[in-house]
Amino acid sequence: MYINGIGRTKFGALTKTLPELTYEAMLNAVEDSPLDITDIDAIFVSNFLGGPLNGQLHFNSIIASLLPSLNIPIIRIETACASSSVALNQAINCLEKTPNIMIVGVEKMTGTHLISPTDAIAMAGDYKNDYEQGLIFPAAYALIAQQYMSTYGISHDALEQVSYINHKNANLNPLAHFYHKDVTVEMIKQSPRVASPLNLFDCSPLSDGAAAIIISSKKQSDRDVKILSSRIATDTISLTQRESLTSFNATKIASRKVYQDTGVTPDMIDILEVHDCFTISELLALEDLGFCRPGEAPELIENGSILPGGEHPVNTDGGLKADGHPIGATGLAQIYEIVTQLRGEAGKRQVSDPKLGLTQNIGGIGGTCGITLMEGI
Amino acid sequence: MKYCCLQCHKCWNHPVEKCIFCGQGVTPVEETQYRVIGTSEVFVPSTGNEKVPYFVNILEDLHGHKKIEKSFQKYEIGDIIDIQQNDVQRDQIGVIGTGLLGSQIAAYLIQYGYPTVLKTRSDDSAKKAVSKIQKQIAKRMSDAETEAVLQSLTITTDYSGLADCDVIIEAAAEDMDIKREIFHSISQVCKPSTILATNSSSLSIDDLAGATDRPEKCIGMHFFNPVHRMDLVEVVIGSMTSDATKDSIIGIVTALNKKPIIVQNSPGYVVNRLLLPQINEAVLLLEEGVASKEDIDSAIKLGLNHPMGPFQLADFIGLDICLSILEVLYQEFNNPKYKPAQLLSDLIEQGKLGFKSGEGFYTYGKVNR
Repeated sequence: MYINGIGRTKFGALTKTLPELTYEAMLNAVEDSPLDITDIDAIFVSNFLGGPLNGQLHFNSIIASLLPSLNIPIIRIETACASSSVALNQAINCLEKTPNIMIVGVEKMTGTHLISPTDAIAMAGDYKNDYEQGLIFPAAYALIAQQYMSTYGISHDALEQVSYINHKNANLNPLAHFYHKDVTVEMIKQSPRVASPLNLFDCSPLSDGAAAIIISSKKQSDRDVKILSSRIATDTISLTQRESLTSFNATKIASRKVYQDTGVTPDMIDILEVHDCFTISELLALEDLGFCRPGEAPELIENGSILPGGEHPVNTDGGLKADGHPIGATGLAQIYEIVTQLRGEAGKRQVSDPKLGLTQNIGGIGGTCGITLMEGI
Repeated sequence: MKYCCLQCHKCWNHPVEKCIFCGQGVTPVEETQYRVIGTSEVFVPSTGNEKVPYFVNILEDLHGHKKIEKSFQKYEIGDIIDIQQNDVQRDQIGVIGTGLLGSQIAAYLIQYGYPTVLKTRSDDSAKKAVSKIQKQIAKRMSDAETEAVLQSLTITTDYSGLADCDVIIEAAAEDMDIKREIFHSISQVCKPSTILATNSSSLSIDDLAGATDRPEKCIGMHFFNPVHRMDLVEVVIGSMTSDATKDSIIGIVTALNKKPIIVQNSPGYVVNRLLLPQINEAVLLLEEGVASKEDIDSAIKLGLNHPMGPFQLADFIGLDICLSILEVLYQEFNNPKYKPAQLLSDLIEQGKLGFKSGEGFYTYGKVNR
């Protein structure tokens, strides 16, 4: 299976509406692909908060309205922040019957008035057990960060570095939410407290945006990127049912399956995109994916391994922190970046000759994880 | 409005840029004449449609393009409706001043498609203003869109650059002498039909109008900070302001997706006449030791459901600005109830101007500018 077309919009607080963003990403993917829109057999759409934030459900039919008289099967997938990697995974399962599939992810989070984004995003957690006690999303990650910092004796400086590196990477990505923002370590340190020990700069922003890719069972051109494996795994959502509060089991399980499927080991992977919805989750990802042992991620960051010129460049697009986190589009934006890098089309932020790239996309506080491994051809 | 690909004969209800089927550009199509092909009278209220009964009509134009239109008037099937076309020709608008509000108003206007001329003092301040405007727009649009939108912005350092504007919004410092001078200068260079609006937050429209050759075309147009988030514009009517001037400005405010309210010229208009006495009273409460500033802020936030308390808001506005508006109210009404609290002047004297100086009633630490 191959990815033959990719497209996305700018991420940020945008004026475009939910359907307009979706259309722009789909159009860009079709223009990038050798296939025409009429070659597409089915569409998977990934969107998290269209109902509560935009008053828009039955979103597959909105996609149909954007493609008049195509009348193909379209289906929406929702697994919180992991929606788009799961949509891709499900699309892959359908390739036998529908050989050319578009996957489009979108979120419109700013300029909405129905309910507050904090309340809406909290719907990814256990409403009855946790949210009613005030466990909003940043608070859940704050508890994880506190556990991690005390278990491994790590200061907040390590998290500040994650934020800083992602912002520097975003300064090379014209489509990133914070492309224009000059961020200093001082600004990160001074930023207001959100939920201790996390500050504003530990958190990804509310972004609008969309991303789309087209996959096919057959190779279409030399710009194609091969999908070696896509795996998803789940876990209990409430922290109260977890054994470990310093790692995400769903990431471990899904990534082990990908490694088993392909014989690839982490040291062979040239570039990766991880789900840094909060800075702490980037540390967890590096460990859960097997790039280092538990508690060692801060060293990996300190020794420059994850920088664009390092051994395993991470989040060259700026990550969720600085490229932005339009939730339903995030997993596909990660794929967009890996495909761009594997094709050697990343311009100023191109890393040196990558062959294998991996994405890790999680939902809620690790309740779902989608891992995708790709190879340039 | 439909957006149609003339090649593929497909149409969209959303403003798409290109046809996804053939890659060609699309053409906006809008007819003014529609035939009613279906209608239903609705008796159940819903959010945004509380007033019942109303009618929902399905309309069709010459090309067979359909649209849904709500009405309170009953139509019969087969009736022909003429839908007024919105003004395609956008007015050209001038903005004077590149301070906090001036640059925000200019940025907002060009995002809504108004060709805008921004008057700055020097080439240097022009550069700063353009970069500020670009940053504001880039937050909400892609680089390509930002660049396209910026095409509608023209900069001039001379009043003569505003000569052809249909409306000029003056957003200079809140000082009657400065504003009168500006109004006098622009009324000498502008075409006779130009409307002269001021973004003043408290000053008299009539005093400003007196400095011009066209008092009937002088009006207040008071935006609120931050412009892209605050939905209100106070439209302030002077004793000589004509109905035509008023209607033009209401039209523009509505097209900008903001809510105009009509205010007869009076010191502080409505918002500041209500707000500043409240802030002043809060400062008096603090002076008298009735409650702490934190508790007074809590009282207003939790007891009256305001998003910010008076001390937070005063700091955000700037204590110097608060004092100057209070002084206008005090002098104009000559009523001791508006006498500015002593503590306000004391803080200003100590250089504590609020958020912008890092400290006012509260301390903010270093402010990134």
